[in-house]
Amino acid sequence: MEKISQSTKKKDHEEKISGRALYVDDHVMEDMLHGRLLRSVKAKARLVDIILPDLPSGYFVVDKNDVTGVNRVHIVLDDTPVYAEDTVEYVGEPILMVVGPEMKEVERILNAIVVVYEEQEPILDMRAAETVFFHYNYAKGDIETAFKEADRVFVETFQTGYQEQAYLETQGIIAYPHNGRMTVRGSMQCPYYVHGAIAKALGCKNQDVQVVQDVTGGGFGGKEAFPSILACQVAVAAQKANKPVKVIFERREDMEFTSKRHPSISTYKVAVKSGEITAMDIEVLFNSGAYTTLSPVVLQRGLICASGVYRIENLRVTGRAVKTNTVPTGAYRGFGAPQTFFAVEMMMDHIATALGVDSLELKERCMVKQGDATSTSGKYHFHVPLPEMVARIDQLADYRAKRKNYQHQTGRYRKGIGLSIFFHGCGFTGSGERDIIKAVAKLRKNADDTVEVLASNTDIGQGLKTTFCKIVADTLGIPYEQVLIENPDTDRVPDSGPTVASRSLMTVGGLLQRAAVRLKQEWKSGEVQVIEERFVEPDFVIPFNLKEFRGDAYPTYSWSVNAIEVEVDILTATTKILGAWGIFDVGVPIDLNIIQGQMQGGLLQGIGYASMEQMDYNDQGIIRNNSFSDYIIPTAVDVPHLVTEILNNPYTHGPYGAKGAGELPLVGAAPAYVEAVENALSVSIHKIPFTPEDTMRVLQEANQ
Amino acid sequence: MVNGYLAETLQEALAIRARENVVPYSGGTDLMIEPDEEATYLFIHKIPELKTINEDPEYLRIGAACTFTELLEDARVPGILKDAVAQIAAPAIRNLGTVGGNICNGSPKADSALILFATDAKLRLASTRGERTIPISEFYLGRKKTALQPDELLIEILMSNTGLSNYYYKKVGARNALAISRVSFAGILQVEGGKIINCMTAFGAISDVIIRHKEIDALLVGKTLDEAKTVKKVYLGAYDQAIAPIKGRISAEYRKTVCMNLLRDFLETNGI
Repeated sequence: MEKISQSTKKKDHEEKISGRALYVDDHVMEDMLHGRLLRSVKAKARLVDIILPDLPSGYFVVDKNDVTGVNRVHIVLDDTPVYAEDTVEYVGEPILMVVGPEMKEVERILNAIVVVYEEQEPILDMRAAETVFFHYNYAKGDIETAFKEADRVFVETFQTGYQEQAYLETQGIIAYPHNGRMTVRGSMQCPYYVHGAIAKALGCKNQDVQVVQDVTGGGFGGKEAFPSILACQVAVAAQKANKPVKVIFERREDMEFTSKRHPSISTYKVAVKSGEITAMDIEVLFNSGAYTTLSPVVLQRGLICASGVYRIENLRVTGRAVKTNTVPTGAYRGFGAPQTFFAVEMMMDHIATALGVDSLELKERCMVKQGDATSTSGKYHFHVPLPEMVARIDQLADYRAKRKNYQHQTGRYRKGIGLSIFFHGCGFTGSGERDIIKAVAKLRKNADDTVEVLASNTDIGQGLKTTFCKIVADTLGIPYEQVLIENPDTDRVPDSGPTVASRSLMTVGGLLQRAAVRLKQEWKSGEVQVIEERFVEPDFVIPFNLKEFRGDAYPTYSWSVNAIEVEVDILTATTKILGAWGIFDVGVPIDLNIIQGQMQGGLLQGIGYASMEQMDYNDQGIIRNNSFSDYIIPTAVDVPHLVTEILNNPYTHGPYGAKGAGELPLVGAAPAYVEAVENALSVSIHKIPFTPEDTMRVLQEANQ
Repeated sequence: MVNGYLAETLQEALAIRARENVVPYSGGTDLMIEPDEEATYLFIHKIPELKTINEDPEYLRIGAACTFTELLEDARVPGILKDAVAQIAAPAIRNLGTVGGNICNGSPKADSALILFATDAKLRLASTRGERTIPISEFYLGRKKTALQPDELLIEILMSNTGLSNYYYKKVGARNALAISRVSFAGILQVEGGKIINCMTAFGAISDVIIRHKEIDALLVGKTLDEAKTVKKVYLGAYDQAIAPIKGRISAEYRKTVCMNLLRDFLETNGI
């Protein structure tokens, strides 16, 4: 283990463990009003009339007419209205907000409002969608010839469902006008995203907006774009009332109406010649919901991962993100990759079964290595440690022997083991980091020789305050306690980009390390010094061209192999997890405790995605699984034997050799889990979540 | 602000219950998730008479305000009840939640109530007017509806002291902790001198109340295991007719299949 990896007490340990940490709902301001949104109860309708009751003094109704700037939330394409205009496009779309001093009275007023809808036929099923928000294609090799010359062609379709982030703290924002400026604070991953969105909605100058992140109780992507929407609604309300306004979502509201993982349908057509895979023709469909939000970027990542970790010379990938009259989907740890990695890993498994070889053997024959081309004709520039990871997981889980033993079982309890091999591209997809984000980070040395980290990246439980400070302290050669970091405040920190895409530590941590090197050289004891660093794309990167979908989508990759062992009770169709093993290459861990926490949490979240986390809408477009008793996430006792190991594979261009870590552990759990169920029951599975009801169905089919 | 009384004796509690419209509050683990500001609560978790477990020649008498943890820690509590209680929620809830609350909440998904149905337990109810002891099956009138009168309290649960050792229990929840039952099944088969002298089964979480069909179970009583095999088909057929799970988040078909699988396995593991 490297010295930097040794675990440190987290920067926010004391305040969180003592309960002193203040979350947005803990803040109470003088004269503060409480707001609640009135939401559409129809999936698609024209708003004919809104009949308001008489409002008591001090109470306000805030809607589209109060938006002084543009009634659009700035995300990517800016199609999400701050408040609905003439139509509503999904159940839950915000129409207006009622604000006032007493929440009970706000609720009474909300219940007294009558909305007259002229209902229209909604489109709920993504396969029936008419509007294609985004459509990308890429190809390489000669796919036509490969299919013409194939011995066998396999075609299969895979489906994945919603996944809800289920962070502990629900969404919440406070906005307050003061001295001609608007300050917004709350639970968020990306203060500068919120900042830009508010300036646009209020129609004010950037310097008239201040955004402060409060202590945030988890995000997992759910607080990437969504807080921009809520912040615009609350800021418009605060501007109208000219008072502080606070909105905190209830759990059901949060689960039902905030963004979640895109459901997907992927069809794989694969050519095999002489027992080798020669071509893949892949079609991916993502359900965007009613507005575009982050769908283009989610789709891009999904498509880049569509051929998995395999060398496919002849490849065609096409993908669409389509509009349905359902809640807009968005960012969730993995960001499009878990969907296509599930599909490609299952496809490999099914082809192997048809060819009469074990799936791992087939996968090993096609695994990429350093120097190989990526799916988008970029390059794997660095060592790909998959062979040693497979060897280690086999050693830990006894994978190969179990896999063989578990075939053709009878009896009530049937065991199975599955394995997945995957990567996560580190950082922003494509040229976003270079062309859009252009991160800036600063170090400020105070007169007392303490050093403050100034960056807009947020600690959302992933330990970023700690890892940033460790890098700076170690580089400067000063005690960790001498390095300070606060929650980002846009008045004080530069825009170092959002806290997303497993980029913060690798990219912004790298800028801080460079700044620390310079500060060390220029260090003047007792003086105030500010050092600024800006992002520069590494020289080795083959520039990504989005139009051609070609080049290095990521500078480097984090790698992982997972194995999951299950036992299915065929009387109840329930599945017990006997063990889950993950080997992860995240470069050099900057703090081993933090990384272990990330890897274990992510793996468990991935197992939930695969097995129990079920969410769907009914024929009215209403999501019914909107509480923790109906949307089941795994607990620690659901996977008592969880083993996560780190493989040290330093990244030459990351701080201390670190690369992306946060998303990786979720990405490959689902295929490993489902492969294990297949192994136990000798069946083929094409969907997640694969629930006990699904298991019962395949058991009954097998009996008939 | 919560309105309520903290009763120190049963007598005091019953007097308040007779006088006023109060919500009995024991562990509160069901009540606290939907707090009612208008309600007046009667806190009964400190009443000594409701906190004891006693044995008499016929029954184990469990105080209604005993927590799940207290049941798990008492050597006299039968294994079938402990197995079920050990799978309720998570430690924090088991430390607070009580068996009486589990029953009076009126849910067909109550895990301890299933066992009490399957063992033909009796409930002792009291009010200032007097006392009555009724079979648990008469206590449940429908979904969230019980026979508890507005002035009554459930004070004791009476479980048979004998005949509960050969049991079968399975809870199917959505995960291994903090899971509400999707299907639950308990069965007891008492065999003496080669003959089945008692068969009791109950199904939870599939209908408005817990399902217990004594008349079907009676088909096996008085028979040897070999004789029981000859009526196995009739027995299972009768349950196949009788069990019609209501539709919920989990399909009726799934729950029906699990019920029948577990019932069959209960017979087969007993050599029938």
